[in-house]
Amino acid sequence: MAPAILSAIALLALIVWRFALTGHQRELMAREIGALRRQDNSFLEQGRHILERAAEVMVGSDRFEHASDGVDSAGWKDDPKTCLLRIVAITGATKMGSGYALDVGVTRFQVCGSYVRRVQDVNNPKCAYEETCFYTADKSMPKAEQIATALLQLKSNPALFDSWAAQSGAFKADGQSFSPGE
Amino acid sequence: MTAKIQTFSSHGDMTLLEYDPATADMDEVNRVLAEYEAKTGAQPFDMATGERIEKVTRDQNEVLMVHPIAGG
Repeated sequence: MAPAILSAIALLALIVWRFALTGHQRELMAREIGALRRQDNSFLEQGRHILERAAEVMVGSDRFEHASDGVDSAGWKDDPKTCLLRIVAITGATKMGSGYALDVGVTRFQVCGSYVRRVQDVNNPKCAYEETCFYTADKSMPKAEQIATALLQLKSNPALFDSWAAQSGAFKADGQSFSPGE
Repeated sequence: MTAKIQTFSSHGDMTLLEYDPATADMDEVNRVLAEYEAKTGAQPFDMATGERIEKVTRDQNEVLMVHPIAGG
């Protein structure tokens, strides 16, 4: 009888010990997972802090940063086509064939990829069109942005067409001639 | 509120300046733009109206520096 009781007690102790050990292991594992999660959160917090610092550098509350000399990739925004569509809307131009028609008074300009046509009186069916090529000083500029540039300038200063047609160099938006080295 | 001075480039529009129009020194903004114009010939246009502007004020939140064009 006594050996049987002892065996039962030993078995019971073994079962209790086993459960206790498993519980302890679970507790250790839970602690380790918790530590890893805290570490992850810490990394995320650090990343967020870095981004916030970068934003603060870019947009100072009482000062400004300028990147005209060094091109900052964070400054790149819309693609050229989006820029053009926005300028088309601002200037009131409309899509016409392969280009964009812009009315300034009775004068109609049709701005295409590399040339502009002008009809001086759109109400006069006998009025012939004139044509001139144009290009921006920065020839790497996409065509869509060159068209947008021409639309803005012609809307503001229609006489620029004559300056471009004269082929006597580059002109600023206000009509003044411009040489890159000046 | 943030105001932006942008220009066209070979990769789309590029931000040249960003500032808070409420607190920025507008004389300094215009001085930098004058330097940029002297270097590139680009002149400022208000992107809200599409009109060329002589000076940038606190009322303009988005300005595009438009580069010269040549005929050919």
